[in-house]
Amino acid sequence: MGIQFRKVSHEYSFGQKGFFQAINNITLSIEEKNEFICLVGHTGSGKSTLAQHMNALAFPTSGEVEIFGSIVSSKRNKKIHYNDLRKHVGLVFQFPEYQLFEETVEKDIMFGPMNFKVSLEDAKTEALKAIKQVGLNETYLKRNPFNLSGGEKKRVSIAGILAMNPDILVLDEPTSGLDPQGKRQLMDLFKQIQEDTLKTIVIITHDMDLVYEYANRVIVLNDGDLVYDGNEEDLFHKEELASWSLNVPSTIRVLQRLKTQFNLDINPFQKTVEQASLELKRGMNR
Amino acid sequence: MSKVKVEDLTFSYNQRKMILKNINLEVQKGEWVAILGHNGSGKSTLAKTMVGLLEPAAGHIYIDDILLSEETSYELRKKIGIVFQNPDNQFVGVTVKDDIAFGMENLCFSKEEMLENIDFFAKKVGVFDYLDKEPSLLSGGQKQRVAIAGILAMKTDIIIFDEATSMLDPYAREDLMKYIKKLHEDGLTIIMITHDIEEALFADKLVILKEGKILLEGDKSAVFHQPRLFEDANLELPVALRISNELDGAEFSAWKEYLWAYSLEK
Repeated sequence: MGIQFRKVSHEYSFGQKGFFQAINNITLSIEEKNEFICLVGHTGSGKSTLAQHMNALAFPTSGEVEIFGSIVSSKRNKKIHYNDLRKHVGLVFQFPEYQLFEETVEKDIMFGPMNFKVSLEDAKTEALKAIKQVGLNETYLKRNPFNLSGGEKKRVSIAGILAMNPDILVLDEPTSGLDPQGKRQLMDLFKQIQEDTLKTIVIITHDMDLVYEYANRVIVLNDGDLVYDGNEEDLFHKEELASWSLNVPSTIRVLQRLKTQFNLDINPFQKTVEQASLELKRGMNR
Repeated sequence: MSKVKVEDLTFSYNQRKMILKNINLEVQKGEWVAILGHNGSGKSTLAKTMVGLLEPAAGHIYIDDILLSEETSYELRKKIGIVFQNPDNQFVGVTVKDDIAFGMENLCFSKEEMLENIDFFAKKVGVFDYLDKEPSLLSGGQKQRVAIAGILAMKTDIIIFDEATSMLDPYAREDLMKYIKKLHEDGLTIIMITHDIEEALFADKLVILKEGKILLEGDKSAVFHQPRLFEDANLELPVALRISNELDGAEFSAWKEYLWAYSLEK
């Protein structure tokens, strides 16, 4: 099942003024289970538009998207209950913390499931489960969401999506605005959720350090075109990186500088500071 | 004479929790100061008190040696401006031109002076071609430049950037940082609120906040020599330095020296 894009294009039109081709002839497949995908590309490359097609928030101008067996195309199909389809794929927008609005964290988390006609009692059970999943304890449920820190608010808004129990989780720049340790904690949390539930997670991000460390598949968009779909290791060996407006991860950049400066026999492709320093120690003994 | 002086500043939104505790800080003319801290450390609150958007519970703020108070805040608004995190939250005008004019209108500039300033500063920040466009049609980086033009047009010589790059993509961010560097070279005093160490490297002085208090302050090198305190404030040192700190032993000294120099490079 999962999600299949078949030759999907999407144009935004501006009345008489013309149109903007946001994504162009995209074909790709996202498995239902066990993927940790980072979706990257410069601003305006079509990442958010692509993400919105994953749960039928946007409809293709041409081509089709198959979401858990239902075909979404430019023509609305009355037989498809789009809301049911959206239960399969949970989409977390950028700055989800701005969307919190209830008096308590519990009510906020319950809002989604209640919208999908889950009973009050079941919604409460889901809220309790979800708050623990995002690494907060149950005392948070009675707190006012507006008195939480930025990182806590993000976690609560993600709990709201988890409570709907989607099969696939799509997050649009979840770490932006967080301090470095907050970023890492949130990425660790996604990794943990993915390992515990085997749910596929798709993350939109600009941070290549996080992509290199966490992703096991990277999808690159450039001016609406799919230009790379593969593993994180091969991506950073590509010569086209700069032309796709992508940075080289910091660890690789630092090790490449050292390698050149001191003519070292080391492999600069190391994901973490710990791995980089181990490689340098090995290099010293070579 | 310091440009900005913060004296024993304390702030709380309610009586229960202190957001800022006894902050003392001086920023000299033409200096670039980066204020770093974790989410919730009080960085943005400090920025807002410095421009008079929030009133401190205790303590004083001086801009060009004038005490910031209800009576002086109007006058001081000409001297210090702020660019916020979300470029969409600070637009008031229908067109870019209206937006640049807004601050000047509030300060009762003459029409001639306003028109002259709009053209001059729109050219300076590179948004002259967009003057009649709606701000919503601009990219994030362009929006932040419009905000800067509005501040410069008031002849302000101190600008606070409150996480002003955090919603931009890496290229727009780099571009804005280059521009801020240029402003600094022109003699502007820059105060930059951030948790991005790469950005803080541009500054002459780093101030690290933790839970509303100043934990550490000094030049880059002095601050980086305290890695534990730095991490204690939920911040990360530059990657080159973190790698260097993992290498123990005399045999690594040349590499470590190189990594240090590389970390401080901007």
